[in-house]
Amino acid sequence: MAKKTYDLLFKLLLIGDSGVGKTSILFRFSDDAFTSTFISTIGIDFKIKTVELRGKKIKLQIWDTAGQERFHTITTSYYRGAMGIMLVYDVTDERSFENIVKWLRNIDEHANEDVEKMILGNKCDIDSKRAVNKDRGEAIAREYGVPFLETSAKANTNIDKAFNDLATAILDKFAGKEPGDAPDRVMVDTRRGDTSRRGCC
Amino acid sequence: MSSNQDLIGIIQAKLSSGETASSCHEASLMQGWVRASRILALVEHENEWALFIFISSRMPPEVFTDLAIERVIPVDSDFKCEIDAGEQSGDVYVNISSRKLKLLFEMIPGIKTNNFVSEIMRSMEALMKLRGPPPEFQWLHKYSGSTSNRNSADCDPAPVDAADVDVTKGAKTVAEKMLDIDSPDIVVPRQSIAQGATPIAARESVIRYQMSMKEDDYTFTETLRVFIGTWNVNGLPPNASLSPWLASDMEPPDLYAVGFQELDLSKEAFLFNDTPREEEWRKAVIAGLHPAAKYRQVALVRLVGMMLILLVQEKHEKHVRNVAWETVGTGIMGKMGNKGGVGIRVEIHNTSICFVNSHLAAHVEEFERRNQDYHDICSRLSFSKFVPTKCIKDHDQVYWLGDLNYRITEMEPRIVRDLISHNSLSALLECDQLNRQRQHKNVFDGYREGPITFKPTYKYDPGTDDWDSSEKNRAPAWCDRILWRGDGMEQKEYRSHPILRTSDHKPVSALFESQIRVIDVVKYRKVHEEVMKKLDKLENEFLPQVTVDNTEIIFDIVRFLEPQSQELIIANTGQVPVDFEFIKKLDDSKYCKEWLNIDPAASSIKPGEKCDVKLELFVDKKSASKLNSGEDKLYDILVLHLDGGKDIFITVTGNYERSCFGSSLEALVHISVPVREIPIGKLVELENVREAPGGMEPYPIPKEIWFLVDHLYRHGLKKQNLFLLTGLHSELIAIRNWLDNGSSEPLPGSLYSIAEALLLLLESTAEPIVPFNLHSVCLGAATNYLQCKQIIMQLPEFRRNVFLYLCFFLQELLSHANENGLDAKTLATVFGAIFLRDPPRVSARGRVNPAVMDRKKASFVYHFLVNDLSDYVMSKSLHLSGTS
Repeated sequence: MAKKTYDLLFKLLLIGDSGVGKTSILFRFSDDAFTSTFISTIGIDFKIKTVELRGKKIKLQIWDTAGQERFHTITTSYYRGAMGIMLVYDVTDERSFENIVKWLRNIDEHANEDVEKMILGNKCDIDSKRAVNKDRGEAIAREYGVPFLETSAKANTNIDKAFNDLATAILDKFAGKEPGDAPDRVMVDTRRGDTSRRGCC
Repeated sequence: MSSNQDLIGIIQAKLSSGETASSCHEASLMQGWVRASRILALVEHENEWALFIFISSRMPPEVFTDLAIERVIPVDSDFKCEIDAGEQSGDVYVNISSRKLKLLFEMIPGIKTNNFVSEIMRSMEALMKLRGPPPEFQWLHKYSGSTSNRNSADCDPAPVDAADVDVTKGAKTVAEKMLDIDSPDIVVPRQSIAQGATPIAARESVIRYQMSMKEDDYTFTETLRVFIGTWNVNGLPPNASLSPWLASDMEPPDLYAVGFQELDLSKEAFLFNDTPREEEWRKAVIAGLHPAAKYRQVALVRLVGMMLILLVQEKHEKHVRNVAWETVGTGIMGKMGNKGGVGIRVEIHNTSICFVNSHLAAHVEEFERRNQDYHDICSRLSFSKFVPTKCIKDHDQVYWLGDLNYRITEMEPRIVRDLISHNSLSALLECDQLNRQRQHKNVFDGYREGPITFKPTYKYDPGTDDWDSSEKNRAPAWCDRILWRGDGMEQKEYRSHPILRTSDHKPVSALFESQIRVIDVVKYRKVHEEVMKKLDKLENEFLPQVTVDNTEIIFDIVRFLEPQSQELIIANTGQVPVDFEFIKKLDDSKYCKEWLNIDPAASSIKPGEKCDVKLELFVDKKSASKLNSGEDKLYDILVLHLDGGKDIFITVTGNYERSCFGSSLEALVHISVPVREIPIGKLVELENVREAPGGMEPYPIPKEIWFLVDHLYRHGLKKQNLFLLTGLHSELIAIRNWLDNGSSEPLPGSLYSIAEALLLLLESTAEPIVPFNLHSVCLGAATNYLQCKQIIMQLPEFRRNVFLYLCFFLQELLSHANENGLDAKTLATVFGAIFLRDPPRVSARGRVNPAVMDRKKASFVYHFLVNDLSDYVMSKSLHLSGTS
């Protein structure tokens, strides 16, 4: 009998201030490439990538959001339906770190209650301009009970790990809940079709 | 939709005479990463079947010239058809393979697909029931040129030498030529995808297909030493060790397949298939195995006297999967188990192997009966635990052993024995029935047998090495044989073991070194990962992609009633056609603000093409008041959504130049200078706070209304159709500028334009003169002048002023009805709609009855046009004859 090419579909979301490297993180993960030219994301874009975790093939649909302030109200409408959210700041940009709390509040207000979160301190390869110590990142992550990693899309540090960890956390949550049938149902629920027509609902 | 019958007719027209299309079906052929439409047809010619694959220039085809033959696959012994059901999509996958050609078709589940697949299966069964030499498919010759244009140069038109004597190696057969295989290198036909012709195939089918195409990349071969033994034991129990037979080689074999015939000749065994011999011989086999290795029994199968036992070395046991066994009786009545075959199939690593032990019909002259037994076993031995069932030929490697019972004919037993004693076996082998029947392809087509260097194994006096001395005086024969079929199989030994004298037969054995495909788990994962990666990449590449030339549309100065437009160019830079649409965001009721118009708001763009979207910004009487009050701004973020893809945000901004149009009456009475001379902040403040700036005494009515009415009063009382004919747009703009900027020039524009400007001014306010909350009261009171009067008296001061001022003016107009032709009812209707303007977003459909409502509004206003209004306390400045 035919085997499914993937067992589960997870929808993930990247949020954070403009310029922290959300698109670069996604580009590194999906295409294993990096470009230092900055092109601001004006909208919502996604890429897919299939990973294998705990013997299951998981298709990740990863949404990259515009970080610019003026789009915030619109982008929050895309939070619903996300099963995991990557919250990214730039270790060389103090302000982007300070805004983490604001982003966390945003998630509380607009995302599904049981969404898995993860905080990423990106650009950790640039030590000369570092403004936020790793300790501070870890501290805020501890305070909010959210996993934390320092990453570099440029140096390919912790990028795969970040997505794998987040996806694993989602996977484990399902495994902990209704065993067996739950994942399939989730997959159906989060089909792109639901959100695409309305875009923002 | 053309019915299947129509389609068969079209296909039939494409075929030559004598060829009949019996069944046809539409299917999608997996080509690398994409799928393409094909039409399959099963074609029959004199009991030979072939699967024709057509490409059609249109779907469904209408005439036979629409069809081109892409490939013709003969349904021969190499033809395989496997069915798979996609769990997710529900699609049916049909694997057609023949030699190295593998084709995967996706079919829509349903009765049509079922019927077609069963037709294919039936044609395969028909082939197996065929007696005599295998079909040669000469009729397909003419198609071999057309199978593939690219390969046509390589096609050798020379006819196949069908009489080729060498059974094992031959020139290319027709079938092989038909199947000249395209390079499996996968090219994504971007151009055709771009035209929307071949969508990306469903993932699961592509992965399966890709993995099977790349099998060589993740498998390596391991050599297994396979020992095959066969012995007809003549119903006797074991009486000596079997190790001279089973353990005659230096190295221990990896696998044993040991077959017996005539294990038990008793009635009990025949009738009840029950015998103590099974266990006796099983034990004997186990005791006789090579001592240098440990073995595990994989399976044992027995039908009456035919027994087959399969053992592997312990270390291989965990790699043996999907074990199954079956029996077929071809004896008395074609059913009983005194003759027939037993089979065991296994998969070792990634190679499927089938072992068949058979005992075919006896007696010298019965070779045709033996042939038939062989064919019966081939068609009836199927392992039914698999779906669809697997037959002998569906295995990568087949070992066929047994007492096949073929004899040496046309030779005296005496001469035979003589030749044997002189070791002249070759002359005898030429007279061997099996060799002859195989040369004629009547039996064991596609099988190979090693050269026989041992003496005939039948018939001896039991307990001796002497030829049969009984009355029957049977001629010696090579009854006991071992044949094989498949790739990577090499026979190292083929011998008899005369030292075992239990039976009237001598045991025979063959040792093979067979290549087993082993999956390298690390490589498999890597290849699988690469396939997934490639698919992910393709999937990402085939997402809709566009670029827009500008995501920030800026309109410079925007003025009331003056439309402006800009173009947005959406270019499809992706690989697939794009459907785009501007979508609503958040709680908005529309995909853009009311002052914006997008054309088109949704459309499709082919790859490489563009779409110009016109964004028209137009502030009219509906949107002006909100912009004046600051409730709204010329700022909007549009969400451009690509179906199945991303969303792009497009920001639209503009600088609105405020006007008296859209200002509230309350704000205007507080402004003594032209609107343009007031700072914007002040205007917004006036709209919201409504307090006089700098303690100025407010006007009783807005000066703008006074200017317009006064002009009409002075010049237009005798003008016909005032308020009924529309003005000119350019003059309205000029009037707007005159009012907003102030001027010493006389008011520009015709009387009609000025009259329309007055109506427009009244219509552009956020609320009509009679506030929305009083509308239902007004309409309820419409028949009663006193009640209407009371309502008007209760209006806020400036509104009441404007209302009465305008009614005075209208009465003045009506007093000149003789000249201007106006009448009270007409004016009441016009001004009813103005004074009691419907709230925004109440569609005509939402109202109870628009016509009734409009009549009530008119009758409300009518009272004030025909009754004496002099008893209203009026401010002096309201008199129409005021000075300018």
